[in-house]
Amino acid sequence: MKVFVFDAARCNGCCGCQIVCKDEHCGNDWMPYAKPQPMTGHFWCKVDQVVHGQAPVVKIEYTPRMCNHCDNAPCIAAAPDAVYKREDGLVIIDPEKAAGHAELVDACPYGAIYFNEELSLPQKCTGCAHLVDAGELPRCVDYCATGALRFGDEEDFADEIAQAEVLGDPALGPRVYYLNRPHLFLAGNVWDPDANENIEGAVVTLLDAEGAILSKQETDDFGDFNFKRIDAGGYRLRIEAEGFKTAEREVDLQESLYVGDFPLQR
Amino acid sequence: MVKKGFGADSSHIKGLGWCSVGYGSNTGVVDVREGKILRTRNFDYTECYTPEQLNAWSIDARGKTLHAPMKSVLPPLSIAYKSRAYSKNRVPYPLLREDWSPEQRNPQNRGKSKYKRISWDEALDIAEAEIRRQYEVYGPGSVLCMCDGHAETKTIHCAHGAMVNLMENVMGGCTVSARQADSWEGWFWGAEHVWDGFPTGQGYQSNLLYDICNNTELLLCWGCDQETTPWGWGGLWASVMSFHFSDIGIQQIYISPDVNYAAAVHADKWIPVYPNTDLALQFAIAYVWITEDLYDKEYIATHSVGFDWLEYEVMGGESGIPKTPEWAEEICGVPARTIKSLARRWAKQATSVAHCNGGSYIRSAYSHEPGRMEVCLLAMQGLGKPGCNQFKFFEWGLLGTESTKAMPASVLDPSIIAAYNGAFTHRYQRFVPKTLIPEGILAEKPLYWHSIPCVSMPKEVQFEEHRFPATDDDPYLHMIWTDSPCWSTCWNDGNMFSEALRNPNMEFIMAQHPWLENDCLYADLILPVSTKYEQLDVNNELNQGTPNTFFIETPCIDVIGEARTDWEIVCNIAERLGVLEEYQTDAGGHLRKDTETCIKLAFDDSGLSDFISWDDFQKQEYASVPYRENWRDAPCGYRDFYEDPEKNPVSTMSGKLEIYSKALAANFPDDRERMPYPHYIEEGETHQESRRGLRGEKYPFLLVSNHPRWRVHAQMDDVPWLRELSKQMGEDGYAYEPVWINPRDAEKLGVKDGDVVKIYNERGWVLGGAVLTERIRTGVVSQDHGARIDPIERGVSDRAGANNLIAPKGTTSKNCPGEVTSGYLVGVEKADLVQLATEYPDAFNRAIDPQEGPSIMNWIRG
Repeated sequence: MKVFVFDAARCNGCCGCQIVCKDEHCGNDWMPYAKPQPMTGHFWCKVDQVVHGQAPVVKIEYTPRMCNHCDNAPCIAAAPDAVYKREDGLVIIDPEKAAGHAELVDACPYGAIYFNEELSLPQKCTGCAHLVDAGELPRCVDYCATGALRFGDEEDFADEIAQAEVLGDPALGPRVYYLNRPHLFLAGNVWDPDANENIEGAVVTLLDAEGAILSKQETDDFGDFNFKRIDAGGYRLRIEAEGFKTAEREVDLQESLYVGDFPLQR
Repeated sequence: MVKKGFGADSSHIKGLGWCSVGYGSNTGVVDVREGKILRTRNFDYTECYTPEQLNAWSIDARGKTLHAPMKSVLPPLSIAYKSRAYSKNRVPYPLLREDWSPEQRNPQNRGKSKYKRISWDEALDIAEAEIRRQYEVYGPGSVLCMCDGHAETKTIHCAHGAMVNLMENVMGGCTVSARQADSWEGWFWGAEHVWDGFPTGQGYQSNLLYDICNNTELLLCWGCDQETTPWGWGGLWASVMSFHFSDIGIQQIYISPDVNYAAAVHADKWIPVYPNTDLALQFAIAYVWITEDLYDKEYIATHSVGFDWLEYEVMGGESGIPKTPEWAEEICGVPARTIKSLARRWAKQATSVAHCNGGSYIRSAYSHEPGRMEVCLLAMQGLGKPGCNQFKFFEWGLLGTESTKAMPASVLDPSIIAAYNGAFTHRYQRFVPKTLIPEGILAEKPLYWHSIPCVSMPKEVQFEEHRFPATDDDPYLHMIWTDSPCWSTCWNDGNMFSEALRNPNMEFIMAQHPWLENDCLYADLILPVSTKYEQLDVNNELNQGTPNTFFIETPCIDVIGEARTDWEIVCNIAERLGVLEEYQTDAGGHLRKDTETCIKLAFDDSGLSDFISWDDFQKQEYASVPYRENWRDAPCGYRDFYEDPEKNPVSTMSGKLEIYSKALAANFPDDRERMPYPHYIEEGETHQESRRGLRGEKYPFLLVSNHPRWRVHAQMDDVPWLRELSKQMGEDGYAYEPVWINPRDAEKLGVKDGDVVKIYNERGWVLGGAVLTERIRTGVVSQDHGARIDPIERGVSDRAGANNLIAPKGTTSKNCPGEVTSGYLVGVEKADLVQLATEYPDAFNRAIDPQEGPSIMNWIRG
């Protein structure tokens, strides 16, 4: 059974996966798996983008979204005669049998199915089944220059799948796995206003709302700290540096945050 | 025969980069089915060779190995580019401005009139008659050949300059628009005087990938976006390298006004700086090093001259103001404490400065100051020491020079130059720098400037005074023949260019181009050109990390419409003028009668016959050559100079780094804008572009205009897949060019995400779609350059966001005719679309193609 594995830490955000998907499918007929995709408006592979943080700590999270090729696919449940799962796990909307099934667009909880008005046909990512049959990789995977996007047999990716997340309902059995998603960060800067100098080596403690210690860091030579890959919630930051009064700040983290600077008092 | 892709009837190797002028890149394979382009994919260099045969390199350093790429890494642009072949904006057939005739030229209507279809015979009749007329009435020099810049990289059917060889060499003379060192301005006009970096003013790149992997601890990516600019010249290899650098523990700090696309994924730290204030930041770094004794005094003593002048300036100088971090903070917006930390980190770690050209760092007013001060800082830390150089993420092997080969070098650079039919940079008989074209067109008395402003010219050329007309007997300009009609959206003060093109003295403008876009709207005659998908040609890709490769590009699809190649068109005109054979006979006496002849000429000249027979090459359609066995032995950047400056001097007059330039002092003793050693120049005679100056009160934002992420300059603004990915849809349904605005600034301006905004200054205004984002610092807005012009009021305003229309007219500085197209002052306000549509009904009621943008049928009758 095949899986897609995406590593967010290797993605350069080039959106090439989105573009080669169109290159492969727009105007090209790959029956029996797919009729041509319209020139624009469909995103069988779509790169989502989230800007995290505020100046001067800002990062971009890129996430390619394609059909999850679910093991318990709602689209198959909605139209069992028109949608099927291959032995290798790829979910295919049969272009002959699915004609007119506009309701399939709403059957997908992830918005991965698009309706082709001209052909009156619901369409989506086929995993480039036509290429996979020929022993090749899906276009998006073949193209990816950095190795962020990979495809292959589930057992070959077992270790990584164990570390990965899925985007969607695990009960539906999605077959696209996401590694190293950044989640949120909480960053800041610690400095000495009297000397107008950053403080290196200040101990920054991240506590939860109840005061339990979650993590500790020392500021770098720019006086910076950054707690990465944390989730939304209530936090407390404690900043300690020798010769300075300890500073604390409550943070209600809803999105990645550059919490600002901490001018420590002597 | 290249291996066919799945489902393809045929497959064709194509170089899908956009340098145009002989620098091949982005080698891909185009699959074709039933006469239509099916897909574009990466090229596998090992189709006919094993990695062992190619002596594929690898670099083992710090526990990881970087391998030579054996497949190309095309950028998304190369994949999407096929849409340009099928674009609805292709010039379908020869077009004549409907109110132009030899008797009634109506220059005032250029940019407004529509076009009518004519036949090729009629078009060539007009071209022939007008060229003959120019020589008869005015003599050589009245025809301006605009013939350079970027486009499809082609060789025989060269996108640019085929007409120069006809007009200059055969017809007796013309005036050439001489391309600037446009992406290298600050280094060309500044750094070159310190280290004489041939050919662009940038530093030696030799073997720097090896040096960085082994020795560099910190990369300062200064105004550098390797996830954007290299796309047109080298694809995603820079991206792969950047991940590898992080993997082996090299820190990457980005200094730029914006979180550019590389900073977005590779930055360990972002230092947001105001555009065009980098010199203040650099001076403050030097101040910290001097006051804390953190620089290499011995190196400075043995490897440089004139440091005491710089030290004097940094510590107070003429103004008496020490260039402290606190002083710099006010100017550049970087907290003083961050500047101190940066200075100390740089002094502590083996640091290289990395670049990708363009942007505000190097295309602002007085960009020679940061350009050369960077070299001074590198010198203070021992330029050439292991890990300490200036690195460029692409564009290696420029002009075949060893000093620019940052990647492991190959045994041969198989050149295509013998087949090239475009123009080479040379000492033109008559020329006008590209930045001064409007002044050249409007000139009624001689126009003067210094230099032949082209890369590869020795720096001493910058001291020469030139003029147009070249002599008192030469004519002024009365005709333009352009094969690069994108001046208005790529250069400085496009609105003045628009005005110049409507000048009554300009009798005839002829453009040849595949698409009806940009300057074509001002032409009288437009000739349709084919894309490289329709052509047979030869191309190469050299020194890009991938194996050096030379290949035949076979045609993929039938010619679309009535297009001909650029070279064919010039041959057609040469034939009409009765000089075809003379035109096609090159300096070596070869008659270049057809494409096949040119391909054979290139092969014979390339040196490849030592590696492959002509017959086998034709069968394979490509030839790759091995990397050198001893590539590791090549000097890394300035290493030899570092180790022994007496034995291995740099090519300055003194053989050392000239922090104080005696040549500048001698040649421009009164130039207060480029003095013999670096100065902070906030405003001056040529420019008043500081947010702290008087104009800053009226136009309070600095506009960053980078190399575009989703275009290559003016190219590809109509590609549907790129437009739907990048444009910002206005409430009027028009896809506007995005403008990044910091949310705090937007709040003050009353601008919401998705609003259409007007970006303006006294030179005009353009529109854009507001994107509220933390990717841009406060006080700065960012809009990529190169949008396809959609004029609202000619010479005043533009709907598509072609912001070069309002870039400063003034050049880099008084004696430096470089471009200033980023980091200049603008005002920003929310646009009232209802009012604009009422005021400019013609512009706002143009037909819009939902996928490609404004339709060319707005400009064609019937």
